[in-house]
Amino acid sequence: MGMGGGKGGGGRTTMSEINVTPMVDVMLVLLIIFMVTAPLIQQGVKVNLPETKAAPVEAAEKKVVLSIDAGRKVYIGDAEVPLEELETKLAANAKAQADKEVYLHADRDVPYGVVVEVMAAAQRAGIANVGMITEPAPGGKTSNSGKAPAAPSGKGKPKEAKR
Amino acid sequence: MKAFLLSLLLVPALVLAQAPVIEISGANFRPLPLAAPAPVVQDGADKKTAQTFDTAFTYDLAASGIFQVLDRAGFTADAKEGMTAGSINFSRWADVGAESLVKVSLAQDGGALRGELRLFSVATGHEDLKVAKDAPANEPRQLAHALADALYRHFTREASPFLSRITYVRKAGANRDVFVADWDGMNAQALTKGGTHILPTLSPSGQVAFTSYRKNRPDIYVQTPGSEAKPLVTDGQMATGVAYSPDGKRIAYALAEGESAQIYIAAADGSGAKAITDTPYGLNTSPTWSPDGKRIAFVSNRGGSPQVYVMGADGSGVKRLTFQGNYNQTPDWSPRGDLIAFTARDERNAFDLFTVNVDTGKVTRLTQDQGNNEEPTFSPNGRLIMFSSNRIGGAHLFVMTSDGNNQLPLPMEKGNWLTPDWGSAPAAK
Repeated sequence: MGMGGGKGGGGRTTMSEINVTPMVDVMLVLLIIFMVTAPLIQQGVKVNLPETKAAPVEAAEKKVVLSIDAGRKVYIGDAEVPLEELETKLAANAKAQADKEVYLHADRDVPYGVVVEVMAAAQRAGIANVGMITEPAPGGKTSNSGKAPAAPSGKGKPKEAKR
Repeated sequence: MKAFLLSLLLVPALVLAQAPVIEISGANFRPLPLAAPAPVVQDGADKKTAQTFDTAFTYDLAASGIFQVLDRAGFTADAKEGMTAGSINFSRWADVGAESLVKVSLAQDGGALRGELRLFSVATGHEDLKVAKDAPANEPRQLAHALADALYRHFTREASPFLSRITYVRKAGANRDVFVADWDGMNAQALTKGGTHILPTLSPSGQVAFTSYRKNRPDIYVQTPGSEAKPLVTDGQMATGVAYSPDGKRIAYALAEGESAQIYIAAADGSGAKAITDTPYGLNTSPTWSPDGKRIAFVSNRGGSPQVYVMGADGSGVKRLTFQGNYNQTPDWSPRGDLIAFTARDERNAFDLFTVNVDTGKVTRLTQDQGNNEEPTFSPNGRLIMFSSNRIGGAHLFVMTSDGNNQLPLPMEKGNWLTPDWGSAPAAK
């Protein structure tokens, strides 16, 4: 969108343009994703986590943890919630709404589509940030700096942890 | 705007285990996130009774200004979860953001409704409070107010406003009738039926004094709910707007004399009346007592426009308190002593509520851009202010914290409800 002024009179026109690189992630326009590794989370349902080499995010406070187990059942903490009720539950959840942030803890065998459905429900409930909980890869080097390095796969955009 | 207003602060008592939260003033106030699931209905209690209880109980907590009552739609706890710490899954309450959990069970035994309340700290699972109260089975609201009061006292170490009474006027056609009701406007009882009766005020002993036009001029009558009105000031002049001293032993009111109106003081039975203002042409009206009974604030137009003034209860040392705007009226002195709430008309001819600090003269705005807001009256503990507003049509009574936050309509039916006065003491029921 150029804002070029004048019609070339004198040849001295001002150009001010904003170059917007579109964000590619489907459904995730508002979801800023960062990685949280498992050892920081003690609660929730037992799921088989994907392994990544992402470094842990230092979680200073306990967030609401959403889980999706291998049977595609969805939980808030350890309470099973039907997917169709998830949006309502999260919209009325004072803790999730306080900082608009939850952690998502999905079994590695859960199809991507199911994960996206859960994330979309969270988004509709006004949750702006969804932290993905992963397992450190075996032998994977993780720093403890509190910063996530660039994602290995390019899927999602790791964001520097706030804390 | 609201962020600048004075607010209350809940400070968790330090180190000392089990110590309740103490409430003090401060800018960092944050309401306590409280989960209050629906009451457990035990044998004998019916669901409708429980629902009435629940509505009143949660309204009290929400209007108190000290709790953030969490939305039940977000709860994830098992609906059949028990009442005792051992049976409660506290992590599920933590997951919805609760810091405290209050559970109530209701049981009916013959004509008595018994409510048992247990308060838990979600972080520790500790039972912080256990209290049981009884009420007549047909008065679940009374039980709700009593249990909400116990909870409020636990956190603030102050009496709650939930057991107090209010009086107000209902405008219907040409009639203005006086009512007394519970603090939330419910359980109302009409004192007058037809005619024009205005400006009611509750005495510390629960009597209602009001201005009545039954003789085609304003006189002051006093009435005990359930009995007939008795004349209090009916000496042939126009007497309006009575206020009881905090000890209930004296009254102050305005008496019109030709072009002027003066403030009078008398004994509570109307005897020994004596004028304490003396302005030949000015109007002096709407007296309100300081909590120690030593001073009186009132409205006077002696400076050209109606403004709030303060003087000694003997009329000495008159001092103008408000200088903003050109039309300030209906002052009410906080039982805490520091603030006087009043109504002011702004340049757009809208009426809004303000407080003025008695010592510093600092004026704080409480309402804005929500219709006309008038007739503030402080709760007996000074933490809440009730007022009349036309923001939802007609005139309805609202309550807010004394800093202007958390403005809620009273749960009464819509109507034309005017000039509330909040009693200074809990009713002896």
